[in-house]
Amino acid sequence: MTNENQTYFEDVELGDEIGPLEKVATDEGVVDFCTLWGNPIPNRFTSDEEAAKAKLPGPIVPGVMSMSLMAQLITDWAGPDGLKDLDVVFRQPVPHNKPLIITGTINDTRQEDGENVVQCDVLMTGTEGERYIIGTALVSLPSRS
Amino acid sequence: MALELEYDRSLYGKEHEAGPFEVTEDMIISFNQSISQMGACYNDRDAAVEAGYRGIIAPPTLCTLFVRRVELPDINLKFGKTRFHGGQRVQSKTPIVAGDSISASSHLKEVYAKTGRSGTMVFIVWETTFTNQLGEVVADVQESYAARE
Repeated sequence: MTNENQTYFEDVELGDEIGPLEKVATDEGVVDFCTLWGNPIPNRFTSDEEAAKAKLPGPIVPGVMSMSLMAQLITDWAGPDGLKDLDVVFRQPVPHNKPLIITGTINDTRQEDGENVVQCDVLMTGTEGERYIIGTALVSLPSRS
Repeated sequence: MALELEYDRSLYGKEHEAGPFEVTEDMIISFNQSISQMGACYNDRDAAVEAGYRGIIAPPTLCTLFVRRVELPDINLKFGKTRFHGGQRVQSKTPIVAGDSISASSHLKEVYAKTGRSGTMVFIVWETTFTNQLGEVVADVQESYAARE
């Protein structure tokens, strides 16, 4: 499943950066996500009042939604089914309507069970250095040959 | 000395099932719109078929929408006053395609304590395996909840 913009295993090296990808989780996007998720609205992800009850500074982006934003960094780079494993830790609440900067750094490349595997550190930060989410991704890339 | 954790260990080895959940094109496209996912194979059936898929495919994290539809028991952990979603892991095995019917099976994977600069936290990890109508495992998802003193 490759295309002309495909990244190939032979093209990547240790230390290569992926991204940055900038995303914004809008109020509307969070409401739509919660509706699809089946999380009754209002909730701490959509409402100031509900967020205050949960002792949050304001409505936050659901972890599963933030993770979905992070996954795009990899699928944009590796292709729609290149992401094999994404493992993240939620470090700080992710705010609505603010730029979220998503980056990756390749820290290992190897062949495993006949598959070209690229391992990356992935990170979601704010524009003022907030480290919202950290994690690791395993990516499968095709060979040129 | 290691913290002796008190919780319901009888939950180990028990599977909690839910579904099947029908994954429709509309669901995938609504998911994409909420996260501004514009990838062609996720949104355009012709592009997906041209790329070799049976239909439009779901982004790899779509299955996380279904995790909380599995009714999970309280593990009765005797630790901490607050709990929060500490982390999540998605291991994709094969793409979910529009029209698939996905079943979920969850079990308690582990409970462990970790002590850092901010004190001790206890992590409760549930693992959910998603299987499609062909019997193929499409993804494993681990959700980690942290309990803090």
